[in-house]
Amino acid sequence: MSETRPTRSRDGLAETLELVLDKGLVINADVVVSVGDTELLSVELRAALASFETAAEYGLRFPAGTDTDRVAAAADVPPVRDRPEGQTRLSDLEDLRIEDDPDAGVRSEGGDPDDGDEAADQEATDETDPDAEPEGVPEADDQD
Amino acid sequence: MTEVGFAEGRYLYCVVDASGPGAERDGERADREGVDAAREFSPEGIEGGEPYVVGSDGVGAVVQPRGEPFDSDDLRRVKRWLLAHQRVVDAAGQAFGTPLPFRFDTIHEGDDDAVREWLRSERDALRANLDAFAGKWEYRVTLTVDGEFDPDDEELSDLRARIDAAGEGEAFLLEKQYERRLTDLERERDDRLAADLRERLAPLVADVEPVESGGVLDEGPAGNRVTGLALLAQREQESAIGSELDEVVADPDLDVEFTGPWPPYSFAPELGGSG
Repeated sequence: MSETRPTRSRDGLAETLELVLDKGLVINADVVVSVGDTELLSVELRAALASFETAAEYGLRFPAGTDTDRVAAAADVPPVRDRPEGQTRLSDLEDLRIEDDPDAGVRSEGGDPDDGDEAADQEATDETDPDAEPEGVPEADDQD
Repeated sequence: MTEVGFAEGRYLYCVVDASGPGAERDGERADREGVDAAREFSPEGIEGGEPYVVGSDGVGAVVQPRGEPFDSDDLRRVKRWLLAHQRVVDAAGQAFGTPLPFRFDTIHEGDDDAVREWLRSERDALRANLDAFAGKWEYRVTLTVDGEFDPDDEELSDLRARIDAAGEGEAFLLEKQYERRLTDLERERDDRLAADLRERLAPLVADVEPVESGGVLDEGPAGNRVTGLALLAQREQESAIGSELDEVVADPDLDVEFTGPWPPYSFAPELGGSG
């Protein structure tokens, strides 16, 4: 299989997430907040993002003896890193897997406001079609 | 859920060259103090936002009104936000040439004027970066190796023979030695392959950065990944890079993933602020 051209198809999803979340221009100033200097996006959520998309490709470290390739290949569910403290388990994450749909455009989400606390409680039980969109609410912003 | 944020703010997507030269497409440009940029630039932002360009003296920032960072425990939402961020930056790249992409969730306090003030205060650095990155894009190369690592090594053969002849306790210790030796050899081989790849590509690129495996989690190498590189290169070099990679994967045990062009996320600088 020739690799002469770079692609940004499905394989690029993991990298999109990694680049946008972890790289890019950073401003060190009081007038700027950034994902880097706050507790934004919980560690477990970042781990979940990483494990979904990068485990198989980039070989995260798993518990000793785990054959990551075989696990990842099985059932098309990438494994989740063994983490301390009762953090998100694979069973919590399976339902959250979404298909990247680069042509679908961004769909605004209605439903929960921009306060993810309740969303966390529904994670494991959320069996609905991830792409089933409620009525769009541009800017679900709960500020006054 | 977050206590960070401002009464008024601007979510920053990227910095672009709004002066005209360097842009890859014709179209209206953000002129001095202009806010409206190329007409074809109207991407949909995060959560349905409508990004626009705030310009100052030929340097523009793609922004949308937003006081507090986007934050959620819902993986799907966050993923969509990240993809939306990238789509906006991609559209900006199409309209203005290579953008300087901000990290996700970077928010500047205040209104457009505040952003303009920041652009003014950082103008020299931004201009220098825009010029340095003009026409260049980021490419990512991940080298993997297939199959079981089974080196032809005298020390290993020797250990194997001793293990077979040893009692249980001693065999256990020898096994440990064997594993350590195997790990060392594998690391040596990986280092060799990584150095070779870098050497091949170096003449074709403006800059190269190692990419740690695991990204977000920054874990050590595991599995069959040998190395990852972020390349900064002119688009015209794509096929030359591709040819080099073809030579690498002529070895049936090696495989390579080649993605891009990306905005230069891995090469973007850190800057001070105006306040």
